[in-house]
Amino acid sequence: MKKGIFILLLILVMGSLVFAGGKGEKAVDASATEKIIIWTNLTADAQAKVLNKQFTEVAAEMGVEVEMVTISFNDMYTKLATAVESGNVPDIMHTNFAGSAYLQSQGIIIDMDDVIDGIGRDDFISSYLHVLNADGKTWGVPDWALHTSVWYRKDLFKQYNIEIPQNWAEFEAVAKKLTLDTNRDGKVDIYGFPVPMHAVQVAPQTYYEFLYSAGVTTFDPKTGEYSFGKQKREAKEVMDYMINLYKTTSPPAAIEWSWNEYRNALVEGTVAMTLDMGAVIGLAQSNNPEMVEKLGCFDLPGRYGVKPASFGSGYAFVVSKQGSDKKQAIKKEFVSRLYTSERAAERALSRPMFAFPSLYSALEIYKLSPLVALFQEQIATITDAFENNNWYWYGMENGLSQMSSQIEATTFFGEALQSVALGRETSEKAVDYIDRQLQEQLLLIE
Amino acid sequence: MKANKSGLTSNQTLGKIFIIPLVAFLLVFMIYPVVYNVFLSFTDARLLKKDFNFVGLKNYKNIFSNPKFYQYAKNTLIWTITSVIGQLVIGLGVALLINKKYAGTGLRSFLLIPYVVPAVVIALVTKWITNGDYGIISCGLQNLGLLQHCQSPLAVPGSSMAILVIVNIWRSFPFPMLIYWATLKGINKEMYEAASVDGANAVQSFFRITVPHLKDTTIVLVVLRIVWTATYFDLPWLITGGGPAGTTTHLPIMIYQASFGTFQTGLASSISIVLGFCLFIFIVFYVRKSLSDEG
Repeated sequence: MKKGIFILLLILVMGSLVFAGGKGEKAVDASATEKIIIWTNLTADAQAKVLNKQFTEVAAEMGVEVEMVTISFNDMYTKLATAVESGNVPDIMHTNFAGSAYLQSQGIIIDMDDVIDGIGRDDFISSYLHVLNADGKTWGVPDWALHTSVWYRKDLFKQYNIEIPQNWAEFEAVAKKLTLDTNRDGKVDIYGFPVPMHAVQVAPQTYYEFLYSAGVTTFDPKTGEYSFGKQKREAKEVMDYMINLYKTTSPPAAIEWSWNEYRNALVEGTVAMTLDMGAVIGLAQSNNPEMVEKLGCFDLPGRYGVKPASFGSGYAFVVSKQGSDKKQAIKKEFVSRLYTSERAAERALSRPMFAFPSLYSALEIYKLSPLVALFQEQIATITDAFENNNWYWYGMENGLSQMSSQIEATTFFGEALQSVALGRETSEKAVDYIDRQLQEQLLLIE
Repeated sequence: MKANKSGLTSNQTLGKIFIIPLVAFLLVFMIYPVVYNVFLSFTDARLLKKDFNFVGLKNYKNIFSNPKFYQYAKNTLIWTITSVIGQLVIGLGVALLINKKYAGTGLRSFLLIPYVVPAVVIALVTKWITNGDYGIISCGLQNLGLLQHCQSPLAVPGSSMAILVIVNIWRSFPFPMLIYWATLKGINKEMYEAASVDGANAVQSFFRITVPHLKDTTIVLVVLRIVWTATYFDLPWLITGGGPAGTTTHLPIMIYQASFGTFQTGLASSISIVLGFCLFIFIVFYVRKSLSDEG
């Protein structure tokens, strides 16, 4: 009897341990229906709804099952690590260019050139494809992209007879002219241009927009060689310019401003211009509709007029290596079917900021949408920048690079810039520090 | 009770069987992660890469040769000590208050609210009230001339850490409050009555009766709160992201950045070992000192 109880308990304990600690590998589905698991980092309702709708439609067309999992970008790496460990990597991922770069560097995804050719390579805006290129292959199908522009108060420009600035000197003059004490109480009521420097992502994004417009890059766009170290003098000058703007035309609190703060400031009328990717329009529509028609945008001018490049990013569909040849073919077809002009335009329009689809044909549909009908002027400005200029996401000047995700997830740019803004560090030392950090990251990547 | 060959009674054998799940739990969820973390700290392991090499003490050398580590360790010390002192002092004060007859269940429940508010909500509200343009705290300080126009205390080194500590104290004081209150309830009222008869005033009663009774509770609270605060990541990351200029970056943020910024799992493990070791040493020293004082 006691022996029986002992054996029963042992079985229970072992059984519970097996269930608790098992790897959870799924049994092979005996049915013929393939199931595709898609992760997306887009967690906003409107975007997730459109994605889910399109995935369901395509799955029905192909006779496959689909499961969409929304995972915030911050959680992606941890969840992916677990997925890799358990051998359950998602079939398709919808992630930003930095995430795509990381997945490519880890050998998790396959190249998508055949899919792009199938959709029609000529229909893709070439700069979108360039960003997703590495080792002569394109590792994702670009979905849409965002471009950083200067969003400004058209009414103030008109009131003070200000023209769109054509170089940095003019830009600084405009920012100073628009730093206003409107009620003459000795306090600034409207700041010309905030320089947001929150350590998490925002500081490097602001700095890189200025770096690119002065021709400074992390890697040489043509050769892919590390180039920041050779351009430290220029990087220092860029930093000095930025910090000078911060001290003369920016609210002092901007040192810790993130996206919400500078967007709100423009929408609420406490700053006259700001760098942004177009989310200010959505914010104005919901918080201060009167401001919508007062807002316009222009490309941040190049340091001496001609702008070498600007800052931008976007999302792409990438496909994991996992699975049989048959499964790979299904996954590729699935992605391919998502690229009808209508679907591509619909996805871009679900974004609460100016996200431009990667297909020319989709862009035409996008422009005709009543959702953006009021903003044709802004769309023309941004489209021109997308089509006719270089634009990169930090660290991806020569195509996909893991450096991008390392810059994105660390705070050394923010620390360096904030230290200079607070007078705790010279710009020369700050640039040296950034250079050392970038080189350390480079060693890690290699 | 009849013993078997190994000298154990059947009840003892059954008892041992019953502790198997607990032992298994400890092995799987406590011992293994710690041992594996120590192991990882001697490797160049990276997130998402299965292969890694043994690198000896390289990670530890990197940590101690990084000047930022000392700045972040100092920040951790300031963050932890000031937060814990604040939590315990306010927790005790409020516990004394709710120990009075007039404090009802409603008040006690109300005082627990900060502890159950999610960190992200606290962070958003903190950023809102310290916004340089319209935040009530910032505008108040600006009107008093203590802060520059359109400035936020979160953008000023020193005051950003002060704001973090204040928010952390507000969020965490209900825990010491509850524990102190439970201890206060256990103190025999007759001792106060006897002291009163002997002519002791309220202050004397507090220091001669209440404080000695709270000593063991305080030891436990200090240990728990130090461990929880020194490893608390959410609020500093969500409110300041470690800024401005790294003045609120503490070791948990450094660990996070090593793990999910540069994906150096090995390095992150070694920083966590250093933090864990420092906490362990402090706690052993503190508890032994406290108990020997008592003895």
